[in-house]
Amino acid sequence: MFKYILKRLLQSLLTLFIIATVVFFLMRLMPEEGYFGEKYDKMEPAQIEAELRAMGLRDPLPVQLFRYYGQLLKGDLGKSITVQPKKAIVNIIEKRAPYSIRFGLISVGISLCVGIPMGTVMALFKKRLPDKLGNMYIIFIHAVPAAVYYLFIQLYASGLFNLPILYNNRDPSSMWLPIISMSLGGTATYAMWTRRYVVDQMNKDYVKFARAKGVSERRITFGHMLRNALVPMAQNLPASILLTISGSIYIESLYSVPGMGNLLLSAISKQDNPLVQALVLIYSSLGIFGLLLGDLLMVICDPRIKLEREKENR
Amino acid sequence: MEEKEVILSVKDLNVIFDLRGQTLTAVRGISLDVYRGESLAIVGESGSGKSVFTKSFMGMLDKNGRVSGGEILYKGQDLAKFTTQKEWREIRGKEIAMVFQDPMTSLNPLKTVGKQICEAVMLHQGLRGREAKEKTIEYLSDVGITMPKLRYNQYPHEFSGGMRQRAVIATAMACNPEILICDEPTTALDVTIQAQIIELLRDMQKKYRLTIIYITHDLGVVAKVADRVAVMYAGDIVEVGTAYEVFYNARHPYTWALLSSLPQLGVKGEKLYSIEGTPPNLFMEIRGDAFAPRNPYALKIDYELRPPYFEVSPTHRVRSWLLDDRAPKVEPPATIRRMLERWKEVEAHE
Repeated sequence: MFKYILKRLLQSLLTLFIIATVVFFLMRLMPEEGYFGEKYDKMEPAQIEAELRAMGLRDPLPVQLFRYYGQLLKGDLGKSITVQPKKAIVNIIEKRAPYSIRFGLISVGISLCVGIPMGTVMALFKKRLPDKLGNMYIIFIHAVPAAVYYLFIQLYASGLFNLPILYNNRDPSSMWLPIISMSLGGTATYAMWTRRYVVDQMNKDYVKFARAKGVSERRITFGHMLRNALVPMAQNLPASILLTISGSIYIESLYSVPGMGNLLLSAISKQDNPLVQALVLIYSSLGIFGLLLGDLLMVICDPRIKLEREKENR
Repeated sequence: MEEKEVILSVKDLNVIFDLRGQTLTAVRGISLDVYRGESLAIVGESGSGKSVFTKSFMGMLDKNGRVSGGEILYKGQDLAKFTTQKEWREIRGKEIAMVFQDPMTSLNPLKTVGKQICEAVMLHQGLRGREAKEKTIEYLSDVGITMPKLRYNQYPHEFSGGMRQRAVIATAMACNPEILICDEPTTALDVTIQAQIIELLRDMQKKYRLTIIYITHDLGVVAKVADRVAVMYAGDIVEVGTAYEVFYNARHPYTWALLSSLPQLGVKGEKLYSIEGTPPNLFMEIRGDAFAPRNPYALKIDYELRPPYFEVSPTHRVRSWLLDDRAPKVEPPATIRRMLERWKEVEAHE
């Protein structure tokens, strides 16, 4: 087990290294005016050259690359240029991340608590009314562009329930709409997968055998089917949770939540190259970490998965 | 024969399935008594309704299937009238347990074997905690699983096929049933293991005074375990009698055909017998004798009227017009006669 985790960690680090490198080169392909923002138009070419040199951007590429690696190793993500000029990116993210994490955790919690029971009920009432209603919901959420119902919720639900249209720090009730909007998609996805996997289990022989030995339907559902159905979901769960807590770009900008998603949006629109670079790195490491966690969770849940080839002892 | 107590009595049972608007009659008016402590084998080809027939004793028919007529009398209750899961839970496991064909899929892959047997122990014997675990380990060693304490904590994938079937049987035993239905218990196993499992079932039968109903198409298994044999064709029992009567004095042409299709040890060069034609379409109403179109001995009346049971002996009854006094005398086919001679020879040697 330990050997396997170590191996997977090293693999993840390698992937991260490759991503960091690719991101670095992509950023060098961006036009240079991005490093100056609006004042670029008013600057003399000599002035531009001087500032670029001062930022180290005129050094040979390998030198820049290794300097960048060195900074990453020290945990230094560089300094913001246009979004919050001269401010260390680590500090910016430190301020923003808690918003995204709080919103994300609550909405993932809602998605799981609603989605999994919903999927189970749908499976148990397969092809009957609850299943049909659930499917309508899932298809609606997946087929209609999220922007449509996000806007709808923001415009109408705020009036209907007398809730604030935008997020503000002092009013906790302003968290409701963004959180509910965020959890709609997750709920649909979790319900869909739970239904699918529970239906898969329902026709298995072991379920019939459990019934034949006199086990109650409730115990079969919760003790046998649901547990087994959640195993294939275990693999994707951590990744999707981590991605949700890292912030929804669209919802954060819609409700002006000062989180990471909103930060990425303004970093891109203001061409804040180092900030974009840092955020892309963070998002991809969360993704990689999520996959790693998913694989480990799978191993814990399913005894049939062996990590390494053990010596045959039978 | 000593007096026999009827434990399960089926009277004129009909089972139908709704399939895409059509009605399939899987069991057509079967009457059969099962005696306490006996081994009854139900044989017949695939689709003859033998599984469906026994599943109806446990309320385990698929959702689109139901008993449409008749009675299943067990301990003074008519199981055919049961509708709720709650009623069935009083029967399932506790009274009638079942062993399925494929041990590879009968166990939950994500629970330890011990836990799964323990589930039955706790449910039906009212034991808890340590006691339940000890009892489970007892069952494991009972069914011939070595190192039961270690095996208790293992998962099904760590068991071989034969071992899993043993675990399945242990689970059924842990329910403490009166009747055990074994649905093709050895079909999915390789031949050397088959014999062991059959032996184990016989041991269990003796130890727990079980009534066992075997469902199989393997006549070899039948010969080895069965006290009585019921031959099913197209949802009906066409011949039933003691194993000796059905093997040595078969009277129904379908039973002859079944016996003829047994491969004979030491007979080479002869083509293996197979029954011409296909079983009838159970979506349609069957007129006369269901086997008539495939029966080389069919009489005119076979196409008109369903034959009643004719009693050959008090234990042996056959649904065929051939046994009517007015029917022409028909001898069993040559293959059967030769087979019987060979069996008698073998017996004389033993």
